[in-house]
Amino acid sequence: MQYELRTQVIEPKRKTFDNLVARYGDRPASRYQEGSIDIQATENFHFRPLWAPDKEIYDETFSVLRLTDPYSFLDPRQYYYAPYVTSRAAMFDAFSATLDYLEERGMFERLPQAWSELFQTVVLPLRHYESAAQMVSCDTARFGMGTTITQCAAYAAFDRVGNAQLISRVGISLGGGSADLLDVAKTSWLQDASLQPLRRLAEELLVERDWGRSLVALDVADQLLYPLLFTHLDEVALNGGAGSYSLIAQHLSKWFKDQRRWLDALYRAWTSDPELGETNKVLLAEIVEKALASAQTAASAVAVRADQLVGTGSLTAVDESAATIREFFRALGAPMKEKQS
Amino acid sequence: MTIAPKAPRAPKKLSMKQRYQVLTRDLDWEPSYVDPKEVFPHTDFEGIIIHDWAKWEDPFRLTVDAYCKYQAEKDKRLYAVLDGFAQGQGHLTLTDAAYLNSMKLFLQGVTPLEYQAHRNFAYLARHLNGPGPRFASLCQSIDELRHTQTEIHTLSNYNKYYSGFHNYQQMHDRVWYLSVPKSFFDDALSAGPFEFLIAIGFSFEYLLTNLLFVPFMSGASFNGDLPTMTFGFSAQSDESRHMTLGLEAIKFLLEQDEANVPIVQAWIDKWFWRGYRVTALIAQMLDYMLPRKVMSWKEAFELYFEEQMLKGLFADLAFYGIKPPRHVDDAIAEKEILSHQVYWTLYQFSHAAAFTTSVPTEDHMKWLSETYPETFDKHYKAMWDKEQENIANGGRHFVRGLPQLCQVCQVPMLFTEPGDPTTICQRESEFKGEKFQTCSNGCQWIFEREPEKYVQAWLPVHQIYQGNCGGPTVPDVLEWYGIQDGDNGEHLGSVDDRNWQDWHAGSAPEGD
Amino acid sequence: MTATTAAQRYVGVDIQESEQNRAVVEAIEETNPDCTVQHLPGLVRIKCLGRIVITRDSVEEKLGRDWETHEFQMAIVSYFGHIKDWDDDEIVIAWDH
Repeated sequence: MQYELRTQVIEPKRKTFDNLVARYGDRPASRYQEGSIDIQATENFHFRPLWAPDKEIYDETFSVLRLTDPYSFLDPRQYYYAPYVTSRAAMFDAFSATLDYLEERGMFERLPQAWSELFQTVVLPLRHYESAAQMVSCDTARFGMGTTITQCAAYAAFDRVGNAQLISRVGISLGGGSADLLDVAKTSWLQDASLQPLRRLAEELLVERDWGRSLVALDVADQLLYPLLFTHLDEVALNGGAGSYSLIAQHLSKWFKDQRRWLDALYRAWTSDPELGETNKVLLAEIVEKALASAQTAASAVAVRADQLVGTGSLTAVDESAATIREFFRALGAPMKEKQS
Repeated sequence: MTIAPKAPRAPKKLSMKQRYQVLTRDLDWEPSYVDPKEVFPHTDFEGIIIHDWAKWEDPFRLTVDAYCKYQAEKDKRLYAVLDGFAQGQGHLTLTDAAYLNSMKLFLQGVTPLEYQAHRNFAYLARHLNGPGPRFASLCQSIDELRHTQTEIHTLSNYNKYYSGFHNYQQMHDRVWYLSVPKSFFDDALSAGPFEFLIAIGFSFEYLLTNLLFVPFMSGASFNGDLPTMTFGFSAQSDESRHMTLGLEAIKFLLEQDEANVPIVQAWIDKWFWRGYRVTALIAQMLDYMLPRKVMSWKEAFELYFEEQMLKGLFADLAFYGIKPPRHVDDAIAEKEILSHQVYWTLYQFSHAAAFTTSVPTEDHMKWLSETYPETFDKHYKAMWDKEQENIANGGRHFVRGLPQLCQVCQVPMLFTEPGDPTTICQRESEFKGEKFQTCSNGCQWIFEREPEKYVQAWLPVHQIYQGNCGGPTVPDVLEWYGIQDGDNGEHLGSVDDRNWQDWHAGSAPEGD
Repeated sequence: MTATTAAQRYVGVDIQESEQNRAVVEAIEETNPDCTVQHLPGLVRIKCLGRIVITRDSVEEKLGRDWETHEFQMAIVSYFGHIKDWDDDEIVIAWDH
């Protein structure tokens, strides 16, 4: 039997906050909107930063990349805090289940030697790259303009530590429960020829003062590394009897897909900005080309190493990713160079 | 209850401490392709000396996966309560619509500060040299975003039915009493990383946190505000981590080099007083804005500051040569008069505020007399009696002028000389040929340490007189503030009050 | 203000009152027999002179299942004192000096 609960019905006086009514009309707003739009202060700052006396506390000139209205960028995932941590909790649960499975079945001991070496000398050292990525993302989280971009960047920063910890946990398992392989990986990060261009790239990002430039440059590097290591090599691993590699890689490529959603939306916002779109297109072309130069060197060095170990067309994969990046920005109207051979 | 002896746990190769170290600190490395000083350009200029960043302790050894798991669970529970309350028209079970004036103050004044903290802990998560404190700061950064958003979502429901909530962000940036908290946090964000750590990580999140937080959350509990109370409980476990970071920050700095001690002491002196002046808004909230009282400001100050901090924390810090904050005696001397002075001012100016005020009821006056036996009857009751009479004759006292604000704390100059509640305290300092007024010894001392900073302040009253706030008349300014009918003035007979009476008309009389 | 040693000053922890935390509270009471326990609405306030120790073993015994010290995050509302130690097996709240 169906019944209807009687409740005292009081007409709401207001459906949401004034700023959202002004933007979207007089209707109820989502929790993402209420928690993200117009939260950052925009006026009447009291003091200039001691460490940047020519700037305000929140200042669009912390980057050359700007939006007329910061809130023309919205996170397509609509992450505010609660759905963000819920999503990541689920992702880590899945990863823990994978790791438990691999450990219980001694899968790491059964890895073909070449793949074990790939893990140790190529993947594990990337935990340091992820650490640098966290710091770069934090720069955006503090110096970006508006709540929507900076929120995405803060979550991305946390994600990067998460990735670093995921990789580290793999390293601990590979090392039979000790941190020995991670110590070795740190030495690789500092010394292996195949990783030096990437380390240099990471360090140079840490001295870039413009958050937009470093965010884009980091993303360009990610867009070469992630498809190489966690999509291309995932496929190769499955064909090469190294299923564990694929089982680990899936988590990172799943994360990368999620990460793409907000960054690609940001690029669209920058290039379609009613007043600043043209300027941003030119800037992005310059920034992306410069980033591609060093990122391709770095990713290629890693790819060469991967090919040495598991012989797979990694270098080609990097070139293809670079072409994809150029195509993406070209389609947005950025004056990219023709494909480099 | 005893259970069968457990099978021995498989020995872990890495202890929790070691594992945490591996998963956080060991990610760091010394750059060689760039100058390390260029990677961290902000940590030299304040004079703080760090010899060994690795000495930073992390008691809360949460990794990202554990963090997400526990925080997701906390949010699931909190949002379930928010949804239930909204669905059940829970706001009708508040003690009175007048209670919500405290939460209007909270959303307008405190929630934006959580957001500021979020942004600046992200700054620390980038610019501190040590990976340990960087990660702790990153966790705090997103914790503060959590607090910002859960507060907004909690109070969003009240915005649907009550005044004063609808334009909190713009009001925080523009309205006179809100420049008190806004300038406080701007002061912190414009400082260097170590000062911010001590100002917010330590002074705000440890020293003053219970004074700031517990009154609001307890007030919620006592007045039927289930969602805010639930938010309070839910946020408190985050606050434990923040307190720990703050305490670790100060100990770390003090232990790294003796040269840091006087610098840290000066920051404690500054930020205790800056934060204490912000709590003036809490004091009046506790004593005047809550229909059902939790405790008096005097009691809160004695418990959360004098006992827990002065006797507990500072006894601990004495080991390093740290003394209790300068001017703390002035704060102690004020505890029986602060709330009365502040509320009297807000009462007179609430026509220009986004909350309503009212003369205390007979019962309320009785509570005030009993709770403040040395001061209320002597200094304040007469004013309220006179105002009662005024109201009985059809009046309602509002001040038509604008108050002078303290150049530092930006509270109206309503405070009195230490030891003499009948004399307004006014201090004057000169800087580059101009005169500046401060409200107390504490604020004057702060001004004279960094005059070039405080002369920059955007003082709301000065700005109105300079014509930067919408226009020359009060209605012009109120429109510029985004204040709408119902937000301001006298509570009795206000939009919220009338709605409250209507919504409860015809309901069964409440038993006691 | 007279100087007091760490052992002479109170430390405390406030725990959210719930079914899950009942075992935690019982374990703390057992491990720290001199503590005072106060039940407030929704909250259990525990106060001890000097130090409070929470051991994994004692909580697991009361709870009847595995428990990580991490889980204490979910229980804690606030504390005063200093978290001196937090590892796999125990959590210690005390003052330093």
